[in-house]
Amino acid sequence: MSTRAAAAIIGVVFGVVLSWSGMTSPEIIREGLLFQDPYLFLFFAGAVLTALVGLRILRVRAPRALLTGERVQWEPVKPERRHVAGSVLFGIGWGVAGACPGPIATQLGQGIAWGIPTAVGLVIGIVLFGRLQRRAQGDPGRRLAPAVIPSPVAADASA
Amino acid sequence: MLHSQLPWWIGGPLLGLCVVAMRWLMNERLGVMGAWTDVVTTVSRRRLSFGPFGWMLFGLIAGAAVFALIAGGPDFHGYGWLTNTFSGTSGTLLVIAILLGCGILIGLGTKIAGGCTSGNGLSGNAMLSPASLVATTTFFATAIVVTFVTEALIS
Repeated sequence: MSTRAAAAIIGVVFGVVLSWSGMTSPEIIREGLLFQDPYLFLFFAGAVLTALVGLRILRVRAPRALLTGERVQWEPVKPERRHVAGSVLFGIGWGVAGACPGPIATQLGQGIAWGIPTAVGLVIGIVLFGRLQRRAQGDPGRRLAPAVIPSPVAADASA
Repeated sequence: MLHSQLPWWIGGPLLGLCVVAMRWLMNERLGVMGAWTDVVTTVSRRRLSFGPFGWMLFGLIAGAAVFALIAGGPDFHGYGWLTNTFSGTSGTLLVIAILLGCGILIGLGTKIAGGCTSGNGLSGNAMLSPASLVATTTFFATAIVVTFVTEALIS
């Protein structure tokens, strides 16, 4: 199977679960964030814990990826200011609209027209980020994303 | 049956298994923002050669469409507190403008933070990435504060 087909199937499962669990509804998100209904937090915790256990098993056994053959591995990311700053902007949008990028896609799939302006905004945000990033390139002080080339010091430390 | 919410102890683990599948099959971090970005950048280059992440977004939308066909569409009307607070023609236009602005904040914010509820919240935390724990705490706390503030303002 190609990675594209596999990713599409994973997307279908993700989309059905998000829809069936009610994450498409801004009211269910809001009830969760107002602590009126524990579903949102239980659902999220159940997902993180399952993924955590699954990834731990993969980490220990370090198999080759079934479709690409590459070694299954990843590096933890150190927190930077951008993780806080970006997440504050995201949190404001999520709190007001009651939708994050996954549910915005499933709103479109379910034919909820209110998802269209949110999705259009999301695309504008992605394009805007690309422009800001290109403008900041060559100026490390204004860089929004981490440098692609690791510094010699970091390379020595990991060697 | 489909209109009753899927129990969290079934739905949550299923989402978690999607994260594990993405890693085991192709050594990738599952993130819906990555999926949106793949589609936007591919289309902006006037091409249609989407990568796995682009196809994941199409799968996501298709899965929701299949669910809507079987379950008979969403069981809510309007758009939550926004359409309850702002009604009429001008209210509808205002809600559309607010949602557009929220979309920009969500898109820009998650790109700056390197992930959304799935990329940082699910995958990043499951990878025990400190940056994702910081991001998740920040966006959950911000969203909770914003929700309580708007609730206080409208009541």
